[in-house]
Amino acid sequence: MPVTPPNSVPLPADAPWIVMKFGGTSVATLPRWQNIRELVASRRAEGARVLVVVSALTGITDALKQVCGEGDQDKRKAAAGAIAQRHYDLLEHMQLALPDTLGARLTDLAQLAAQGAVVHGELAWTAKVQAHGELMSSALGAAFLSHSGLPTQWLDARECLAAVALPNQNERTRLLSAMVEAKPDPALNAQLATLGEVFITQGFIARESEGRTVLLGRGGSDTSAAYFGALLKATRVEIWTDVAGMFTANPRQVPGARLLQRLDYEEAQEIASTGAKVLHPRCLSPLREPRVPLLIKDTNRPELDGTVIGPEVRAHAPSVKAISARKGITLVSMESVGMWQQVGFLADVFAQFKRHGLSVDLIGSAETNVTVSLDPTENLLDSDAIAALASDLAKVCRVKVIAPCAAITLVGRGMRSLLHTLSGVLAEFGQLRVHLISQSSNNLNLTFVVDEEVVDSLLPHLHDLLIAAGALRTDDSALFGPSWQTLYGSGDMVDAPAAWWRESQREHLLKLAVEATPRYVYHLPTVRQQARELKTLAAVDRLHYAVKANTHPAILRALAEEGFGFECVSPGELKAVSAVVPEAAPLLFTPNFAPREDYARALDTRATVSLDALYPLEHWGELFRGREIVLRVDLGRGLGHHEKVRTGGSGSKFGLPVELIDAFLRLADAHGVIVRGLHAHLGSGILDDAHWGEVYGQLASLAERIGSVSFIDIGGGLGVPSHPGEARLDVAALDRVLREVKAAYPHYQLWMEPGRYLVADAGVLLARVTQQKGKGAFRYLGIDTGMNSLIRPALYEAWHEIVNLTRLDEPATALYQVVGPICESGDVLGTDRRLPEAQEGDVILIAQAGAYGKVMSSHYNLRDEADEIVIE
Amino acid sequence: MALEKVLVSTVMQPRLTQVFRFVRCSYADGVAELVYAFDDGEELVERIRFPQAPTAPAQHASAFDAALKLLHLIAGVSYYKAGIPPKIDVATGPLDEATAELLDQLYLHGLAEFAYRNGLDLRGRIAFPRGGTAPSVAKAAGLPKRTLVPIGGGKDSLVAVEAIKAIGGEATAVWVGNSALIAACAERTGLPTLNIQRELAPELFELNRLGAWNGHIPVTAVNSAILAVAAILYGYDSITFANERSASAATLEYEGQQVNHQWSKGYAFEQLLGDWLHTHVASDLDYCSLLRPYSELAITRAFAKLTPYFDVFSSCNRNFRILGPKPADRWCGQCPKCHFVFLALGPFLPKPRLLSIFGRNLLDDENQAAGFDALLEYQDHKPFECVGEGAEARAAMYALSQRPEWQEDALIERFRSEILPQLDPAQLALEPWLEPSAEQRVPARLQPALKTIG
Repeated sequence: MPVTPPNSVPLPADAPWIVMKFGGTSVATLPRWQNIRELVASRRAEGARVLVVVSALTGITDALKQVCGEGDQDKRKAAAGAIAQRHYDLLEHMQLALPDTLGARLTDLAQLAAQGAVVHGELAWTAKVQAHGELMSSALGAAFLSHSGLPTQWLDARECLAAVALPNQNERTRLLSAMVEAKPDPALNAQLATLGEVFITQGFIARESEGRTVLLGRGGSDTSAAYFGALLKATRVEIWTDVAGMFTANPRQVPGARLLQRLDYEEAQEIASTGAKVLHPRCLSPLREPRVPLLIKDTNRPELDGTVIGPEVRAHAPSVKAISARKGITLVSMESVGMWQQVGFLADVFAQFKRHGLSVDLIGSAETNVTVSLDPTENLLDSDAIAALASDLAKVCRVKVIAPCAAITLVGRGMRSLLHTLSGVLAEFGQLRVHLISQSSNNLNLTFVVDEEVVDSLLPHLHDLLIAAGALRTDDSALFGPSWQTLYGSGDMVDAPAAWWRESQREHLLKLAVEATPRYVYHLPTVRQQARELKTLAAVDRLHYAVKANTHPAILRALAEEGFGFECVSPGELKAVSAVVPEAAPLLFTPNFAPREDYARALDTRATVSLDALYPLEHWGELFRGREIVLRVDLGRGLGHHEKVRTGGSGSKFGLPVELIDAFLRLADAHGVIVRGLHAHLGSGILDDAHWGEVYGQLASLAERIGSVSFIDIGGGLGVPSHPGEARLDVAALDRVLREVKAAYPHYQLWMEPGRYLVADAGVLLARVTQQKGKGAFRYLGIDTGMNSLIRPALYEAWHEIVNLTRLDEPATALYQVVGPICESGDVLGTDRRLPEAQEGDVILIAQAGAYGKVMSSHYNLRDEADEIVIE
Repeated sequence: MALEKVLVSTVMQPRLTQVFRFVRCSYADGVAELVYAFDDGEELVERIRFPQAPTAPAQHASAFDAALKLLHLIAGVSYYKAGIPPKIDVATGPLDEATAELLDQLYLHGLAEFAYRNGLDLRGRIAFPRGGTAPSVAKAAGLPKRTLVPIGGGKDSLVAVEAIKAIGGEATAVWVGNSALIAACAERTGLPTLNIQRELAPELFELNRLGAWNGHIPVTAVNSAILAVAAILYGYDSITFANERSASAATLEYEGQQVNHQWSKGYAFEQLLGDWLHTHVASDLDYCSLLRPYSELAITRAFAKLTPYFDVFSSCNRNFRILGPKPADRWCGQCPKCHFVFLALGPFLPKPRLLSIFGRNLLDDENQAAGFDALLEYQDHKPFECVGEGAEARAAMYALSQRPEWQEDALIERFRSEILPQLDPAQLALEPWLEPSAEQRVPARLQPALKTIG
């Protein structure tokens, strides 16, 4: 075991304190204790006194609870024996003899188990029994640390933490979820300084005024650490756990969630209260007044920065810090004109909630309506409480019970000043049934209550939208750390190779820009590379390039060589493709609201034609007689981004609603039309592989009702990340998902229609700097083309990386709004971009312009169109 | 394999075939092979795989052969319907009267919905060759006193399972085919399980591609015949389905013919097959439905007490082959089965619990109005699904409309303002639906289980 050299110089009496808290898994094994020893020694080496707060060994608190719930004395004794054995086993691993301190605890526990509750009374006995988990782990830890060369004093937390009696407490809460008022205590500080330099104590326990042992309840060990931090006015409290800190969202729901590096107490408490499990919200308040910072650290990855929670963080732009979701919420909406200006109406209404044992959380009100939310409890699910409440409320108002709902909360200081950045997010909520919006005067949060079913797919989408809208300023590296995926994702994550334009083609691009700008440049090796990556999807039988993304002949030819088919949406695209690709390349014709003659023309080619409405068969049925067609359906709700078109798919003009499939099949039969394929399109920019499996599975289950179907087309929409650090689509994971579905439905071929994925990264737009302008706090950087060449930022608020290619290696010190020459206030290509100080004539490169760039460009303002150059 | 234009002219056109032939059937190594053909076309071979392959029991050889032959004849419906040719030919010769009658009835009524949907009239077209000698009446085979309980993943079979468990009956949960949902439900029952595989002849998919007739087949009859073979093979004295009373009600009448989506779950078929098994296979092999006397509402009431199944079961008719953890992964929320089970459980569960099962409130979604109207037989006929009777749905809807916690939901509100005024409240009581009827063929050994349900 590595032993840190003994600290030759003793600490001065006023040396600062660091409180370090370790949870149950961190204290359960020898290697973990060795780790603790190193961490504690390093803090001591900083020149600080260290107080270690520990939980019970993992599983021990539950085992002690079982002892408390066991009526049979022999079984209690046996359980206590098993608990003792866990500690003996660990001692043996540590090659330590049983220390007296631990031996005394084990004897106490055996005695308590034998006695049962009779001597002390049920609650006091329960507290005493459960306190033993921490008493034993800390005694064991003191022995281990001292033995390994770090003299450590065992401290009884009950000597330091005095529980206070509160008026709303009963005997149970007084003993089992006690509160401590912890204020800086210089006398304790001085007394401990005389005793040593490293201390270990228990989380979770304290003592009340009569001298009885009490428990601190849920989150108790973190709270103990906070109490000690306040008592000792520590330099900081460190919570060592299994994750590096708080994230901008629950990583299980949003793998791209970013580590929050700095939070103020209020924000952190709000995030903890609305979903984050890493910290109990109550453990922050003891630290607020003495302004002791709290640091969350990952025991397994101590090199990661973690989250620092402290007093208000100044000198940062306001930003949304996190988005969270709580499910299983029930809303009660009460409607009555009776409440208008009626004294006591609400008091009467809320009395009913109390009477039925229901706790109210969020409240939204209007002149004639009050809507409240109830948090999920088993009682709520299985008792008749709601029925009884509704019955009583129905006597005074109209009641509506709305469930299951989920509360989605955005947290960030100064939320109201961020509202203007949330338009995209609000538009997303505009597509949903929002039952309640709540914002309290502390201005820390904004909560939307929506139907629970939309949440799982909505949350990652909202997280992306918040970043794209600049509401969640992940570009501020002081506040936001790496994504969860980067830190903890499956080992497959490889850093994206440097973009082709950044290194190998940089000089070439600068030369091309000197010749002429604006100018699109396409890099065919990148197109081929993307194509080959998709060809690794073993489950996919046929890939079609959605040519609408980019119809440049060189790209069409390159993809034909890679064996792709081509998906066209107009006769123009069919013509352009047919002129370039070989006869053998399969064609798909997938128009939307196209005129009759488009279909007539497509049917004269080899293209497979898609229909997505009843109309063509109802009115032009003879045109399709004897033909095989593809039916494009709208799977409606329950699926990815389609969730938002909740009103029966009426929000999207694409696809035949599922409920009309039978009608379509009858029409098809009447005209001898054979439905050969079933197609649905998810949306675009989707990075989550699970969505594809869902669409595929649902389409296949629909196809089983239609005997003639032989292939399933799950469309395109494969996401291409645009922000630095965003995870790429995991093609291998997608393949696994697709193969799983394919194994269940082997009789259907699988088709896909990627577009942007193949070409976006392969294209850049080159422009040159024209003028600059300062206006208030804003600095505008003008370039010689704008929305006329690339409309995506204006149309979709799309984010494209923008670099100054002339000064790629210079420090990015300026903050620019990058704008074009078009007479539209929306002619902005990028906002708040950190770039080097630019000069007239510098070459500006706009990345990811290979898809929906040139094809969507226009002559607006009669400016010349950008030309196109291909790099083979 | 790329999709190429299929040249239909040179290959068989299923709808123009003349004869459907039952070619042969056999059993070896746990696999039953059922062979069919149209005209002189290639053979269509269906395989049914019985796990842990027992050999055909020698002491029950005649019982086994009779059960296997019936399976061959019944499973043929999946293929016959592809062409519905005018003539049916059985290679082993004409059938005895009882067998031919069973099959004529099954093919006519079991394919009635298929015929209706395809605008066909099968009356007079289906005639199995008859005139063969009836075998001597079957004897008791001394089968072990244990029960095969088919599991479908829905609430009904789980109610049946729990009823048999409640009386300490020995039973095995059995299902045919691959279904992760059924497997999960079967596992949750805690019973021993038996999963039989049915592989349709691959050529059937080709026939479908060539424009075969397609539609609903009486799949419960096919599964019943498979289980009859299994009962002899593994040794069970009873097969208890979970078909309820309303399964016997016709979905609609079409040109004088009753069309019942679930005819093979009805009492008429139960009697036909039960009697046939007694006379042709083994006098001690009982075939019945344990839920026959009960309405859907009585069954949902029983199911509402079975909390441990709430997060695994689904009655949704969309076939979810891939299971996920969310309610939406088991309930599409749009089909008549989802609508009916939601509505029927409503009166018997706390509202938040019901909504947590489905993950959403179907009765507060105006887009589902047409679906619930169909259940109520309001402005529409009953849907072609295994759902309760219209009056039953109306009683459940009425019960919810009287509850304050439901009253303001969109479709309940609509029911109260638009539909209820047209109904006679005296006909809307829930209680009469909870009374069992007398109609049932449950063997004496399982009668106590029957009583635990009501």
